[in-house]
Amino acid sequence: MTLLQTLKNAVRKRSIHVCYVNTGSCNGCDIEILACLSPRYDIEQYGIYVHNNPREADVILITGAMSAQWIDKLPDLWDKVPEPKAVVTIGNCPISGCAFNRPGALIDPPVSKYIPVTAAVPGCPPRPTEIISAILGVADILFENYETKTEEKP
Amino acid sequence: MKKVVDVSLPIGPVHPCFKEPARIKCETAGERVIATEVELGYVKKGIEKIMVGRPWQETIFLAERVCGICSVVHNTAIVGALEKISGIAVSPRAMHLRIILNELDRMQSHLLANYSYCYTIEHETLAMYLLNLRETVMDAIEIMTGTRIMAAYVVPGGVREDISAETAGKILDAIGHIEAELPRFVQMFATGPLIALRSKGIGVLSVADAKESGVVGPTARASGIARDAREQEPLYAGLGWHMITRSEGDNFARIMLRFDELFQSAAIIKNALAQLPDGPVRLGGRVTAGRTTHTIEAPRGDLTYDIELDENGQVISVAIQTPSIMNVEVGSHAMMKNLASAADVTSTFISTDPCIACAER
Amino acid sequence: MSVASYLKEFCRPGWIKKFFAAKTAPLRAPAHFRDFPELTGNECTHCLECRMICPAPGAIDVVQRADGKWEPQIIRGHCFRCGYCVEICPEEVLASGDILAKRHEQNLAFTQEYAVLVNPKLCMGCGNCCTACPVNREIDPDMGAGGTSVSTDVLMRIEKGKNTVLHNDLCKGCKVCEDTCPNGAMHVARRVEAIQTEGP
Repeated sequence: MTLLQTLKNAVRKRSIHVCYVNTGSCNGCDIEILACLSPRYDIEQYGIYVHNNPREADVILITGAMSAQWIDKLPDLWDKVPEPKAVVTIGNCPISGCAFNRPGALIDPPVSKYIPVTAAVPGCPPRPTEIISAILGVADILFENYETKTEEKP
Repeated sequence: MKKVVDVSLPIGPVHPCFKEPARIKCETAGERVIATEVELGYVKKGIEKIMVGRPWQETIFLAERVCGICSVVHNTAIVGALEKISGIAVSPRAMHLRIILNELDRMQSHLLANYSYCYTIEHETLAMYLLNLRETVMDAIEIMTGTRIMAAYVVPGGVREDISAETAGKILDAIGHIEAELPRFVQMFATGPLIALRSKGIGVLSVADAKESGVVGPTARASGIARDAREQEPLYAGLGWHMITRSEGDNFARIMLRFDELFQSAAIIKNALAQLPDGPVRLGGRVTAGRTTHTIEAPRGDLTYDIELDENGQVISVAIQTPSIMNVEVGSHAMMKNLASAADVTSTFISTDPCIACAER
Repeated sequence: MSVASYLKEFCRPGWIKKFFAAKTAPLRAPAHFRDFPELTGNECTHCLECRMICPAPGAIDVVQRADGKWEPQIIRGHCFRCGYCVEICPEEVLASGDILAKRHEQNLAFTQEYAVLVNPKLCMGCGNCCTACPVNREIDPDMGAGGTSVSTDVLMRIEKGKNTVLHNDLCKGCKVCEDTCPNGAMHVARRVEAIQTEGP
């Protein structure tokens, strides 16, 4: 591995810009993500910044169970995120639809049907500590050696 | 209706300065915003439909998930409706515990609303102070119920579990901490000249407009309408509840009213803990057939459940009227009109504390 | 004036202390937090009360291990962490947070009764419910694939092309029949009461 690649890995690990998208959640997971911003948990000290702008995001945080309105919009939004990019889903809803996954509901989980999901945090809602642990867990490997990874792709 | 405008500016559903999953379409002439329209429907899940045919132990969880921010009040409202239908008695201790948890929930919701407002007007220092203070309230809720959000604490006939004297002490400590810290932040908000520039006289909802539009909750009370469903609950009056209103009706008044209500909620919790009677917390009681309408005061305004049950205690039909839908609509029709800047659109919208998940369900 | 007030804010001892000794809360949950239920080691009796009360679709399953013992499995991504399964389990197989401690201390309990309701207009007599029913499987392991049985002790069986409930009192409320019915004809009414008993 070249020195440049090592430097890139180190920098990418410490500078993750996040955009969160509410695709039909109940706000529970959203406010737990907000709580991560609070000085007690202080997610910015790990180099994770919440901008809510897909065009400058590295990681998309998805909450919610794919309501009908988002089925066409979410893949569009995903295309607009610049490479390298990844998706982390927060909560039960993007995994299974949570309580809403019953006959007659207007949702279509899981989110991984529409865009590729890298990591998922279960819980209804997950605690801020769990969200931070999960994001820190994937931050190291998420964009590691990104250039060589893309070369391997067919 | 076709209007000639310079630019039709869409804000949302994913936007750097707007966190809610809704779209505000602004019709602008230069920087001035002439009119706005709120487009909803991004988080519609159909909760009322999937509640049908389910017993209480499942519907209370679905009701909680109508809104993650004020989950406790949805739980209390639906259980209150079931108790009203079935004539289930609630012990005094359980009633006091419900009020304590509801007021804690109101405190965290109001702190979050004020945080969102300060964050939207880019006063991040004050926003972070308030968000950190909210964590203290969340800790109190967690000690009491075992989880931060979606506690499922209220069950027909009482509450899920009792609190010990030690827990009560910890809740009192948390309230004491908030009462000690909050006046500083209120003073920062009330006297900050930059905050006043962004808040005073902006997004004014006049008393006449407020009366006509059926607005509820803190948004109504900040426009001088004395409307609060806690009036109907006799226990609240004994715990020191009184109506708080303001007359200005602008963004500043709405945020200051929430600060005032925070102090009131803290006082109510302290009184309730001091008067906490002894006794059982779960009396049981079978849920039976019937139909009723039950209204209680959510942090954002009146929350009404209209619910019909069959003889097995299962839902035949349910309709939920959440406060946000009224406040969101009045926001676009009366408040977000003729604003001097497009930047005031999001801050005015956030000042009504809209909960899109509530409004759409 | 505003500059002075900000300077005053940043000169507070509390602020300075926090600024120079910044540390975040440890990334772990407190002991009273109800996390995903975990096994305590007590033996499961396959009473299926946890499955009955679980409000989340597909969050709990009671499976038979290779040595023949039953064991509840919590499925992450579906479980809400409400703790009802912990609170209702008579053998205390599951534990989460301080629910078990509070249950002992305050004598918390649930009472429950069930009614299996069949909608004859929708039932087409396929027998899926009868063969899937865990009570039926224990009473009559030789039950036919169409849900027919010679035994009259079973909970329900197919008679004359329709599902007939013979012994409602045997029902454990597990909702398996509801889940397997292709027409939505089956419904298990579960009446649960949350009570506090007088003493142990």
